[in-house]
Amino acid sequence: MQRLVKSALLFVVIGLALYAGIYYAAERLMFHTGRSNPFFKIATAQESAVDWVILGASHAMPLDFADFNAQMERETRLRILNLAAPGAGPLYNRFVFEHFLRAHRARNVLYVVDSFAFYSRTWNEERFADAKLLRRTSFEPAIARRLCDYARDEGVDPRAVLDYVAGFSKINNRERFERDAWEGERQFERVYPPSASAVKKRIAYLYPDKTAAAALSHYLEALSTLIATARQAGANVVVIKMPTPSQYRSQLPDEAAFDQAMVRLLAAADVRFHDFSKAIDEPRFYFDTDHLNRAGLTEFLARYLKPVLVPANGGRLRQ
Amino acid sequence: MLFTSLEFFVFLPPALILFALLPAGRRWIWLLLASYAFYGAFRPFNLVYLGAVTLIIWGCGVALERTSRERSRRLLLVAGLVVVIGSLFAFKFYDFIAGELERLVGETFGSEYAIALPRLAVSTPVGYSFYAFSAVSYLIDTFSRRLPGQQSTGQVALYLAWFPKILAGPIDRATNFLPQLSAGLRADPERLVLGLQLIGWGLVKKVVIADNLAPMVDKIFGIAAFASPIDLLISVYFFAFQIYCDFSGYTDIAIGVSLLFGLQLMENFRRPYLARSTAEFWGERWHISLGRWFRDYLYIPLGGSRAGPVRQYLNLMLVFIASGLWHAGLGYGVGWTFLVWGALNGAYQWAGVATRPFWSRVGERLPRVSGSLPLAALRVLLTFHLIAITWVFFRARSLGDAWLILKKIALNLVEIPSLLSRFPFTTEHYTAFALIAFLIGVEIVDERRSIFQRLAAAPVAVRWALWYLAILALLILGRWQAREFIYMQF
Repeated sequence: MQRLVKSALLFVVIGLALYAGIYYAAERLMFHTGRSNPFFKIATAQESAVDWVILGASHAMPLDFADFNAQMERETRLRILNLAAPGAGPLYNRFVFEHFLRAHRARNVLYVVDSFAFYSRTWNEERFADAKLLRRTSFEPAIARRLCDYARDEGVDPRAVLDYVAGFSKINNRERFERDAWEGERQFERVYPPSASAVKKRIAYLYPDKTAAAALSHYLEALSTLIATARQAGANVVVIKMPTPSQYRSQLPDEAAFDQAMVRLLAAADVRFHDFSKAIDEPRFYFDTDHLNRAGLTEFLARYLKPVLVPANGGRLRQ
Repeated sequence: MLFTSLEFFVFLPPALILFALLPAGRRWIWLLLASYAFYGAFRPFNLVYLGAVTLIIWGCGVALERTSRERSRRLLLVAGLVVVIGSLFAFKFYDFIAGELERLVGETFGSEYAIALPRLAVSTPVGYSFYAFSAVSYLIDTFSRRLPGQQSTGQVALYLAWFPKILAGPIDRATNFLPQLSAGLRADPERLVLGLQLIGWGLVKKVVIADNLAPMVDKIFGIAAFASPIDLLISVYFFAFQIYCDFSGYTDIAIGVSLLFGLQLMENFRRPYLARSTAEFWGERWHISLGRWFRDYLYIPLGGSRAGPVRQYLNLMLVFIASGLWHAGLGYGVGWTFLVWGALNGAYQWAGVATRPFWSRVGERLPRVSGSLPLAALRVLLTFHLIAITWVFFRARSLGDAWLILKKIALNLVEIPSLLSRFPFTTEHYTAFALIAFLIGVEIVDERRSIFQRLAAAPVAVRWALWYLAILALLILGRWQAREFIYMQF
């Protein structure tokens, strides 16, 4: 029996050594193929200070598709870091931003708000355990510690911590050799033919728990904390709603109530809010049911976003 | 709590440690509690169904034991069977039949005569088909006095609830299971090692092979009308291996976990795609516990092959139609496809019985040919393809879809080689082909001599290298995103 125990121990030790090896290889590979994950962007950001950090969910992501972020930087002469992530609600955005502030500074925060992200755990607490995000998140002890804090204080699933620390999703990544890009980026140049059934499906997907008032107030609080954190770090916050086609917008449940609650919160916190949701309606400016394509973004940048990013004082508000 | 979930790997070690700390005679009590915790984790209310079936068959068992009058014993048996099989039938088919009746009446007599029948609107409790069949087996074995003496309520409860097998079998016999409990459960190092090997191999089959094939199969079967013949052909092959690896992977894990606790469950799969006839496939290699269940509790009581050829043909068809009905379930819907699947397999058995004398004569006249490797390989391939055709009915969403898939493939058979040369194979396809080739290789090696016996005789370095390879495959290639086992849904 003693021999069996000794053999078992040796087996485990060799196994752990092998595991450490593949973990290291997976981490290195992640740095070769990484691109759009917010933590990867923070880890590889060249400057310690930027003019704008963009936070939000998938509607904010096209701003960094292909070369669009570089185009925005050229046109505005500002340094912009887009830390939006697909399906990320305010809790996940806050987590990303807090980590960003550890070693970086932002003069402004552009928060792209989406009502769906304020109604469900799916886009907040449960987002942390999403293998697609975890497998592209670089390993840092500070992130692990913060994730533990979120598991303890914010109801994030402890399995997310376990997965992140063990690197399981990274090792098990099926797209390990592919460049990290959200599927939407591949469609960035295309024009989407409107489809009522696709919109219906999309809305059902985005609002899995319908629109509970309690959830809204809970996640508005998460946004308040994010705003307070940004202010403490000396950053100015601006909140916008991205344009969406009327076919999609008209189907959003309780959007008016959400807008009212958002306006109240932002007014109380003295945060500027620009609702651009009705700004661009033509289907030719979208690559799917609700995301702007390159043409749409170019139009949006020129007509609406640029004045927000570059106000009279040149965007460098609190230097 | 699936075998492939983190929760299961958290649940198992403490269950094992406490088991080891308890005296052998009392260990079954802990296993019963653990089994209820495991089953209740899916949906606590399921325990009510399980408890009810347990009480019914235990009560019937006690009454059967105490009653000596044959007529009363028969009545007791029938009552028990009606409740267990009746509830299974109601869970599976009542809502489907009600819907079909409403449709039939509406179509036949017009909308003014449309009827609205009440619905049960309850989903079949997970694993119900399996423990209901175990319950039937217990009742019949008690009735026919194959189980000596009165059984303990708790042990009967554990027989039905034993967590490794409750969701998808094997449908073990009380005559095999209960004596092991009475003798006291002991896990020795050999069983421990064999159990772990089975768990590892089962996980590889499920998470690495079956779950890597599943997305491609789901996609193509979901768009059968628009898929190309090659896509359909590949998906049919992939599904044959997906369902095998999914189901046999589950039972390997179930048998392996049971061995960790000192319990030996019956074998359920024996390299089925190496069968040389469909009779061998169903009788000796695929879902053996269900095949034997139907043989012992339906085919033989109906007269089997002893009551003349007509009855034999009828009995065979009845068994396979019953098997089709048993398989109809939540996974791929409750539809007519399962009835056709059963009938087609029954027809294969008819053909097998009818041509058996011919093949015997061929074997006698040409013994070298009939025993040759090429002929054996040809028979294996033919059997595999016959079975693969039946899987189309099993997997398709409707009879129309199944027919369309088979028609599309059949009409393009001649062009398959040229279509294949132009087919845009992806990395996923190549991975799947490699995994299937690996599986077939292992099965061929295993057919000659058990791979576990070979492993036991191999040097430590080889054994450990294979273990590490399996673990790495699970880590790197496995799909762990909680895809249910197919047979859990029946």
